[in-house]
Amino acid sequence: MAANGIEVQKISGALGAEIHGIDLGGPLSNTEFDAVHQAFLDHQVIFFRDQKITPEQHLSFGRRFGDLDIHPYAAGLDEFPEVLPVIKEAGDTTDVNFGGTWHSDVTFYEKPALGSILYALDVPTHGGDTQFSNQYLAYEALSDGLKATLDGLTAMHNAANAYGRNGRTDKRFDTTKQKSMTVRVGDDDEADAEVEHPVVRTHPETGRKSLFVNHVFTRRFKGWTEEESQPLLKFLYAHAVRPEFTCRFRWRKGSIAFWDNRCVQHYALNDYHGQRREMHRVTVVGDRPV
Amino acid sequence: MPDPTLDIRPLSGALGAEITGADLSQPLDDAVFAEIHLAFLDHQVIVFRDQIITPQQQLAFARRFGTPGVYPFIAGLPEAPEVTEILKTETDQINFGGYWHSDTTYMEKPALGTVLYAHEVPAAGGDTQFANLYLAFGSLSDGMKDLLTTLRAVNSSAQKDRGGRARKMIAINGMKDGFREEAEELEAEHPVVLTHPETGRQSLYLNRSHTVRFAGWTEEESAPLLRFLCGHAIRPEFTCRVRWAPGTLVVWDNRCTLHQAVNDYAGQRRRMHRITIDGDRPF
Repeated sequence: MAANGIEVQKISGALGAEIHGIDLGGPLSNTEFDAVHQAFLDHQVIFFRDQKITPEQHLSFGRRFGDLDIHPYAAGLDEFPEVLPVIKEAGDTTDVNFGGTWHSDVTFYEKPALGSILYALDVPTHGGDTQFSNQYLAYEALSDGLKATLDGLTAMHNAANAYGRNGRTDKRFDTTKQKSMTVRVGDDDEADAEVEHPVVRTHPETGRKSLFVNHVFTRRFKGWTEEESQPLLKFLYAHAVRPEFTCRFRWRKGSIAFWDNRCVQHYALNDYHGQRREMHRVTVVGDRPV
Repeated sequence: MPDPTLDIRPLSGALGAEITGADLSQPLDDAVFAEIHLAFLDHQVIVFRDQIITPQQQLAFARRFGTPGVYPFIAGLPEAPEVTEILKTETDQINFGGYWHSDTTYMEKPALGTVLYAHEVPAAGGDTQFANLYLAFGSLSDGMKDLLTTLRAVNSSAQKDRGGRARKMIAINGMKDGFREEAEELEAEHPVVLTHPETGRQSLYLNRSHTVRFAGWTEEESAPLLRFLCGHAIRPEFTCRVRWAPGTLVVWDNRCTLHQAVNDYAGQRRRMHRITIDGDRPF
């Protein structure tokens, strides 16, 4: 236990640490905030156990890190639109859950999320874990030749696969089967609008380089067709989530995960049909990737 | 069934369960072993914590499942040749079992299961992931299922796509002394869809490490479909992840699971004892 009463325990070799000795229900002292912030930068995703927080407390913790986002497609709480309920009911028979594929959040924005803070209100007895993958390690493990090539490339991202017509939400997130969340399908202009991001981004706080493509929102390399882009992108998506870059977090009621969206991808496992899972997500707005 | 004496808790929605209430250093009475065996069939991977056992006690437990085999490529312990030491030292870069696979599928009669016991593990890292091959098969389309039940596949011990087994083994300081370079390359043909001899359930019996082609097809012809199936088999929804501590013992059913050892602990040491249990010829 450190002198300030805060303990940080790594959960895998790649990334992720549990932080003990902090109550997120109360305001954090500057010392506590600095310790949490440093652990966040050092471990890319941090976890807290046995927390009991209200939406207001969740929002104030998020605001310590920046402005908060209102999700453009999935509806937030009526009173607190920045709090996004992520729910799968026991009766939901959908084979698609929210976040059930490797991605980083909202990279179809010009300024994608800095990070997301997910709080577990109700979890299955087993199942419903989340996996995370360290994109610093993904970049560093590439050959020097491919690193040099990717350093010069830009990728186009949009929301079409996830939220456009015939996208994941439209085709498979069937609102007749999945009644627990309200997720809107965007019109073509909105969902197809592309934004560009460097394929390799430099983290604004740590200065480290990370791989910044994901198969949900990245469409192609800038100046290339989708067909030309597919082979290399497909390789990168698979490489980015090699087991030795990952950790897996098992939730309990009251657990909180806070991941750095600038250098982490994540995946919500959909292996708990017949059981209920309710989470609240608060998303902190980030910088324009460079 | 007698009243259960063990506490059995699933690890994920896909497979794996942690069992408490058993001391594996002691002979297990038949009723207790029957519960363990049932959990093994129900959950495919069973995990025991805080066990303090000798190689002989590990062998005695393994014998409850069947006959321990001798692994062809690595010499066993002098006092217990069926027990193989899996060791990655502080200076090793690559690990043993780092790719998704099931054990010894290049043998005519691949292992029924494996009993792995942790002696030394890193503070964080060195987990093992498992994937449920019943779910992998069950989630395919009916058309693909029908096709696969007509196919057989060739499995090889050579690991040619990664420069060969010998190149890997002599690069692991912790294991090169025991490597039997003279062991012949093994190859065996098995059905792609295996019917489990005890549960009757069908599993997708392929793995990226050992399966090289469909019988009667070229490697080039086989590659696209094999690649799809090996990728499908390890979808996160079909998996669990076990974090080890000294004294953790895991038994997995090799006929319906894949596993991979996560190599994320550079500079740290990990030492395990492995016993494989002889299986039937897959059908």
